[in-house]
Amino acid sequence: MNESSIADLSGSEPVAFNAALAEPFNVLIVGVGGQGVIMVSKVLATLAQAHGFEVKQSEVHGMAKRGGTVFSHVRYGARVWSPTIAKGEADVLIALEWAEGLRWLPYLKRETGVFICDTKRIVPPFACLNRRPGATLRYSGETAEQVAAYVAEGYAIDATRMAEELGNERAANVVLLGALSTALEFPLPEWERVITQFVPKKSVAVNMAAFGLGRSWIAEARTAAPAAEAPVRPAPVHTPYAPRLEITAEWCKSCDICVKLCPERCLRLNAERVVELFAPEKCTGCRLCEWLCPDFAIRVHLDAEAVPEGITP
Amino acid sequence: MFTDAPNFDIRNYLRMEMMPHFLCPGCGHGMALRALLWALHELDIDKDKLAVVSGIGCAGRLSAYIDANTFHTTHGRPLAYATGLALARPDLHVVVISGDGDCLAIGGNHLIHACRRNLKLTCLMLNNEIYGMTGGQVSPTTSETRLTTTTPLGNTEPNFDACALATAAGAGFVGREVTRHVPKLKELIKAGLQHPGFAFVEVLSDCTEVYGRKNDMGSSAEMVMRQKSEMRPSVYRDSVDTPFRSTDLPTGILTRNDRPEYGASLRRAAALASKGAH
Ligand SMILES: Cc1ncc(C[n+]2csc(CCOP(=O)(O)OP(=O)(O)O)c2C)c(N)n1
Ligand code: SF4
Ligand code: SF4
Ligand code: SF4
Ligand SMILES: [Mg+2]
Repeated sequence: MNESSIADLSGSEPVAFNAALAEPFNVLIVGVGGQGVIMVSKVLATLAQAHGFEVKQSEVHGMAKRGGTVFSHVRYGARVWSPTIAKGEADVLIALEWAEGLRWLPYLKRETGVFICDTKRIVPPFACLNRRPGATLRYSGETAEQVAAYVAEGYAIDATRMAEELGNERAANVVLLGALSTALEFPLPEWERVITQFVPKKSVAVNMAAFGLGRSWIAEARTAAPAAEAPVRPAPVHTPYAPRLEITAEWCKSCDICVKLCPERCLRLNAERVVELFAPEKCTGCRLCEWLCPDFAIRVHLDAEAVPEGITP
Repeated sequence: MFTDAPNFDIRNYLRMEMMPHFLCPGCGHGMALRALLWALHELDIDKDKLAVVSGIGCAGRLSAYIDANTFHTTHGRPLAYATGLALARPDLHVVVISGDGDCLAIGGNHLIHACRRNLKLTCLMLNNEIYGMTGGQVSPTTSETRLTTTTPLGNTEPNFDACALATAAGAGFVGREVTRHVPKLKELIKAGLQHPGFAFVEVLSDCTEVYGRKNDMGSSAEMVMRQKSEMRPSVYRDSVDTPFRSTDLPTGILTRNDRPEYGASLRRAAALASKGAH
């Protein structure tokens, strides 16, 4: 976990409401690698610092490259000691991905916390079993209604689609910043000024539009029916191949390494103590057995396969 | 991970008439051989431009299974043969396969001088902490307290850190990996093969039948799994009754520098000398 210092915003005067925040205000921002979690957190931290608050920001983004979980804690107030938010202490939880949002829910203040979550669902690249044709997706099944019952104030917003419609999917995090801006007291021009600093010059316009969309969506959601949009459950991601094992029985020395190290446990030694694939439907084609067999008795083929209907390749 | 191997069929690199190989069930040297052949495949190295030189031992035996130019030399001396070969034929990729006994005991002197010269070749030392082929005598890398036929009371000698030794002796490239991480090992060997000087790669391998059995290390699968779990801080290794292999050692590329390569220096000196003579 690293604590980063935030560059000072030159020329901006601290405004009045800072003194009121004797207890730090806690915002937790979560998502997966590549979504722009850190950008959201930097915007917020910079904004708070420009208003004379003490700010502590800490983040973990080591797994970012693999589509793994990324989170950032931002705490600001008159005085902030710890850089991390304890469980049950977040005033706002803002999630760029649905399952990540659910994962971090216990960090939200039970009575007053605001939950803002993109309904975007990303199946991690290493969830191999989910990629088998026709596999049931083992992605969290909670509906927006179930989550709404758990939190004090919750918004499931289809930010990624909104950003897509603006012509830039990457602006989804700024849609969420727009939503976030309704939960905090910073003035609108300040938000726009700081966001402009953090987005590429040529995409300022689309990001400003994204920010506006996020703001107005929350305003409408507050006045309209309280039920949030239900996230669309995606079809399993289909990788168009079927694993097939070619076993050279005469070379197998029954060492059992492949049997014990296969992540899906779909291999066994048969009566002749030769390896066999007894549960082919479980095999993901990960090749671990091929790599680890000291006797080169297994070769994994990934045969091209017709994509079953109803599945997005 | 799915796309990085589809075209590698190890059988294209094996002498099929020699297969199946003679290694015991679960022997880690088989995985090491796969990693080497996979690396050669990915670098698209022509079999005719490849010379594999090995010493004596189970590790040394591996050259016999590779479909390329291979030399199964004498115990401890593969680096000496390889030095002559690499100097005479700088157009070849010269790869040495050696064991811990072969490379550090009887061949220890050849190793340090090969490192010192920094001649372009790649040396794999398959470290299973034992003389596997001859039935399990202690080697310079046997962990303390381990049982071998020559240390019936448990080994009391401290062991070598082969990578530290190679680095100190001047090798331009030094790295270490366990056999369990075959793709990582392949990448390390690839980096070694591409290094312009002497590349030393220590492969932490398992002798299942002799060392594993003698030390009650469980099944082959358990030994492979232990390669990871035993990567603990050295503080846990102090107790005498808990013998750990030295896999708390760092892995990956440990040394990489651009010291002058010996073959090039020698050829330059020879060219100067022949100019002076005329
Ligand atoms: C000059 C000479 N001395 C001794 C031997 C006997 N010998 C054969 S292999 C070997 C040790 C092999 O150990 P290592 O290099 O670690 O290979 P491993 O079998 O463990 O892979 C010995 C001592 C020999 N063949 N030649
Ligand atoms: S490829 Fe091999 S290790 Fe991977 S799931 Fe299939 S059988 Fe198991
Ligand atoms: S790892 Fe290879 S030799 Fe060992 S049981 Fe599996 S197929 Fe047989
Ligand atoms: S004796 Fe040990 S090193 Fe030699 S083949 Fe058997 S398991 Fe492998
Ligand atoms: Mg050995």
